[in-house]
Amino acid sequence: MTNGNATALACRDISVNYGVVAALADVSVDFAEGMIHAVVGQNGAGKTTFARVAAGIVHPDKGTVEIGGKPVPVGNVGRARSAGIEIVHQSFALPPSFTVAEAMEFGAEGRGALYSRRDLERRWTRHLDALGVRVKPRERIRDLPVETQQAVEIARALVTDAKVLILDEPTAVLSPSGIDNLFERLKVMQANGVTIILILHKIREVLSIADTVTVLRGGKLVEGPTLTTEIDAPRLAASIIGTTADGLSDTDRDALVGAAEEDDDGTETAAASVAAGPAILDMRGISTRPDPEGPALVDVALRVGRGEIVGIAGVEGNGQRTLVRALSHLADITAGTVELSGIEVTHQPLSDRRANGLRVIPFERNSEGLSLSSTLWENWAARSLLRDGVLRLISPAKIRKACSAALKVWDVRFSTPNQPAGSLSGGNAQKLILAREVDEDATLIIAAQPTRGLDVGATAFVWRSLREARARGCGILLISSDLDELFDISDRVVVMLGGRVNGEFSRPYHLGEVGAAMTGADR
Amino acid sequence: MDDTIIAILRSGTPLIYVTLAGVLAQRSGIWHLGLEGLMIIGACAAVLGVVQSGSILVGLGIGIVLCVLASALLWFVIEKLRANPIIAGLGLTGLGLGGTDLAVQAIYGSQASVNAPFGLPRLGPAFGQYGVLSILVVLMPVFVIAVWVLTRRTRWGLQLAASGEHPFAARSVGVNPARMRLIALCLGGVLCALGGAELSMGSLQIFAYGMTAGRGFMAFAAVIFGGGNPLGATGAAFFFAIVGALGIRAQLLFGERVPPDFLLALPYIATVIGVWISGKLRGGAKAAASFGELKDY
Amino acid sequence: MIGYLTQIIRAVAFVFIALLLCGVIFEFAGFSAPLMFQSIADGAFLSMRAWENSLRWGLPLFLTALGVVISFRCGFFNIGAQGQFYMGAIAATFVADGLNGQSAVLVVPLTFAAGILGGALWALWPGLLRVKSGTDEVITTLMGNFIAGLALIYVTSGPLKDPSGTGQAASSRPIGEAYRISEGNSLSPTIIVICVLVGVGMWVLVNRTAFGVLSSLAGRNPIMVVWQGARLSRLGLAGFVIGGALAGLAGTIEVLGPIGRLSSGMLPTHGFTAILIALVANLSVLATAVVAIFFGGLAAAGLYLPVLAGLPAAAIDIINAAIALFITARAWPKRLTGLLRRDAT
Repeated sequence: MTNGNATALACRDISVNYGVVAALADVSVDFAEGMIHAVVGQNGAGKTTFARVAAGIVHPDKGTVEIGGKPVPVGNVGRARSAGIEIVHQSFALPPSFTVAEAMEFGAEGRGALYSRRDLERRWTRHLDALGVRVKPRERIRDLPVETQQAVEIARALVTDAKVLILDEPTAVLSPSGIDNLFERLKVMQANGVTIILILHKIREVLSIADTVTVLRGGKLVEGPTLTTEIDAPRLAASIIGTTADGLSDTDRDALVGAAEEDDDGTETAAASVAAGPAILDMRGISTRPDPEGPALVDVALRVGRGEIVGIAGVEGNGQRTLVRALSHLADITAGTVELSGIEVTHQPLSDRRANGLRVIPFERNSEGLSLSSTLWENWAARSLLRDGVLRLISPAKIRKACSAALKVWDVRFSTPNQPAGSLSGGNAQKLILAREVDEDATLIIAAQPTRGLDVGATAFVWRSLREARARGCGILLISSDLDELFDISDRVVVMLGGRVNGEFSRPYHLGEVGAAMTGADR
Repeated sequence: MDDTIIAILRSGTPLIYVTLAGVLAQRSGIWHLGLEGLMIIGACAAVLGVVQSGSILVGLGIGIVLCVLASALLWFVIEKLRANPIIAGLGLTGLGLGGTDLAVQAIYGSQASVNAPFGLPRLGPAFGQYGVLSILVVLMPVFVIAVWVLTRRTRWGLQLAASGEHPFAARSVGVNPARMRLIALCLGGVLCALGGAELSMGSLQIFAYGMTAGRGFMAFAAVIFGGGNPLGATGAAFFFAIVGALGIRAQLLFGERVPPDFLLALPYIATVIGVWISGKLRGGAKAAASFGELKDY
Repeated sequence: MIGYLTQIIRAVAFVFIALLLCGVIFEFAGFSAPLMFQSIADGAFLSMRAWENSLRWGLPLFLTALGVVISFRCGFFNIGAQGQFYMGAIAATFVADGLNGQSAVLVVPLTFAAGILGGALWALWPGLLRVKSGTDEVITTLMGNFIAGLALIYVTSGPLKDPSGTGQAASSRPIGEAYRISEGNSLSPTIIVICVLVGVGMWVLVNRTAFGVLSSLAGRNPIMVVWQGARLSRLGLAGFVIGGALAGLAGTIEVLGPIGRLSSGMLPTHGFTAILIALVANLSVLATAVVAIFFGGLAAAGLYLPVLAGLPAAAIDIINAAIALFITARAWPKRLTGLLRRDAT
């Protein structure tokens, strides 16, 4: 489809199997030199695996990779790097305790015997300056904000003479203006002759930056590379989703693929909210101590009414995690009050709050939500076992039976309640958590990134469950870094910045305004 | 005073060699509880090698080869079989203690100890009182500095630390964390062999069953105490040696009022307090139990 | 159930591999491996007397191993069973020695209480450090073992020293005959009853209470149960304290039972073996009982070998160590299975 240019990266018949699951099946793509290419697809489409095969991190079961026309042995990072290919990972791959200078040095190639601290810092300051990354070389990676971490990671990828730079979902952690900055930076690099491959999942972003787009679905190539001038959003959306998600409303579909227009026209009424009733959650003037997982909350006020979905927007690391932890009594509250259904719970432990109807779907499904090596029934029963007293005698057989019944209601695909939770797919694992957390006694459900990593079907299922809970009168606090998701299902959106509430919006949402609030730019 | 310094150097040197081995393993992400076993293998091999061959080099060489092989076995079990490093390390320690006992009994019958005809080369009378110190005591600072430079001032050291802290990061720049760990453990094996040789051949010229007497674990404590930093860990090891040497002096000073066992327990108590304080400084109770498991990548 | 069967096969397979390694070491050292294994089997299981000895060594190990099972299930790597065993034995001896001459009805229960408390307290401080300030329990309990070992040396050569002692190892005065729970150096029905009762109690706790399920969840993923509202510190402390108490109970039984006194350096590998038993049994209470008898047999053989077969007792240490080396393995080498080829770099 591309013409004229030489090929920077060519993949032929790439197949990768994880166990019995085919992550990639016979994918062949050519990426032309000097362009910005987008690779898109749903979660689980094989985008990340594809990127890692190209970078030599994943050894494919079959297939070859050529860089600049020359074949490169697959599954060998060193050879791939010396051929000029570099990758920036979605969750950054820099040791948190390293200083910026050390993080640059450890991946450098060529001569580098002994160094002194000062040499090292001087050398890498120059490199960072040249790329326009403003950061002190002595700072530790773990102390950097995510946008700077990403810039450092990109700088790290450019310490060698990279010809092809792959970025895996670089926009997922950024604010709208951060995305603009990143795209500016990428265009400069493109002008310098670097071929850029972006793994993305938002059509809006694809159309605004990329020269070509390649679509993967279920590990197979369905399209591309196609020039973005020759394709429009609806066709791209159809290509990404396929026919797997019939029955979705148009707004849901647009939200799933990030195809919504810049300005939501606000006519969305399909999921009209129940009029916001009395407060289920009332936080007033909450401040916390700094938390290991994010900045302290400062004077946060937040109200969730009966039958209301309140969305929390913000660049990751701006206090969303602290907020969820404070609501779960896992962060130290230094000032303010929290009321659940009119009862003050500021100093109540989580077990008491849960007894008052609080339910939490935590950020990390696999570490905070489930014990992957434990059985389904143990995971499912944890909440009720804690509620009823620890030294009570139980009958595992009865619990297993109840668990089977409940999981069937929630449409979890499983064979036996004795199988480990780790054997479930992401979507089924999330349904297991929903089955535990969304019960009739729930009054306030905190859903933190409930759809991250889920495919279209599972995402739609989660949204439907949250809307049904809202219809029953639950208050729902939805934390997401995906603005399309928030705009689609929230009745209100609250933006967090640096541990504070920095704006509250109601329909119709305006991406520019919310984005400005996320970065603290003047509105 | 000179006596005390000599005593500290003599008891501290074997500990420091083994501590350096622990530092290398720690930085590669492995909690090395097999140090005790490697150390006694080194001590036993040096004595038996000298007795059997008459050459100190053969003794050292056999010790180094055996310790490297044992380290490679530990690496295989931890890295390839994904065994828990703590339990596997304790197993290696048991193999070392039992194996050396078995070897001595196989060769000498049910004898409890073996004497060597001569020990490591010493400084000699030219250095006065200090002439009794062995060559390995003199070389010790060289090794400390070498390990410090290697881990803190080279790219290889950064790659080693990355392999321990964030193996995926190491892998995505083309470093093989498994290989880094193998190298770190095997270098550690060499150091343990030297430490063990100094213990049995530095001043005593004897091998006795269980003569390491927990020094390997003390070295591990020093590694933790020093936070994985070679200089910090060496300092901690020195501190333990000083406490041990002073314990003997203090007994003369305080007589019966302070039980000697209490003084001997000081290093262990100091380690507990040190680990407690460093945990406090790092802040907060960590929720996750790591069990010293290797990080996946 | 297939799950349990594969676990058993896995454990047996790794023990077998460990024994193979031992065989190689024995041959390498110049001993005949078949003769060695034959002698060990003789000493452990091939006669009525051997079985009795195996039980005598296995039952205290069973109690300590149960403690390890509970601790590990709660998610804490309490490797301080040795120290807790010692501290239990020391506390028990202090009471039994100090109250010497009082009625057995008074002294024996107090001795048990003291032993259990001693073990529990020696597990409590690492537990508190762990749950209050996140101090790594592997280091604290390991150090605790050494400190307890020195404490044992101190009391047996100081406060509890037997003035008439002539043996090489210092030891306490023998426990009064009235307080002994077994005759001489052997097993007794009392000990068996205690072990069975404790075993049943722990089985119920692990398999039939909410605590059992929750502690197992916490052991596999502590963060998850925190998000469920569990107070991990209490669950964890319970694990530490129960573990310590059982080790202390085992120490008390040794002092009041077969050994009959406190001696310095007694059973120096008891705690390590108990950890092995718990791991080989994959933290199951029932399996712990079976595995404890097996390791009890090895311990019995350790006494049998040098005396009756003229072979070094170190063989038993080597077998234990080799099992430790392999028992926690979770995977086969990737080259052999070819399952995870993406690891290559």
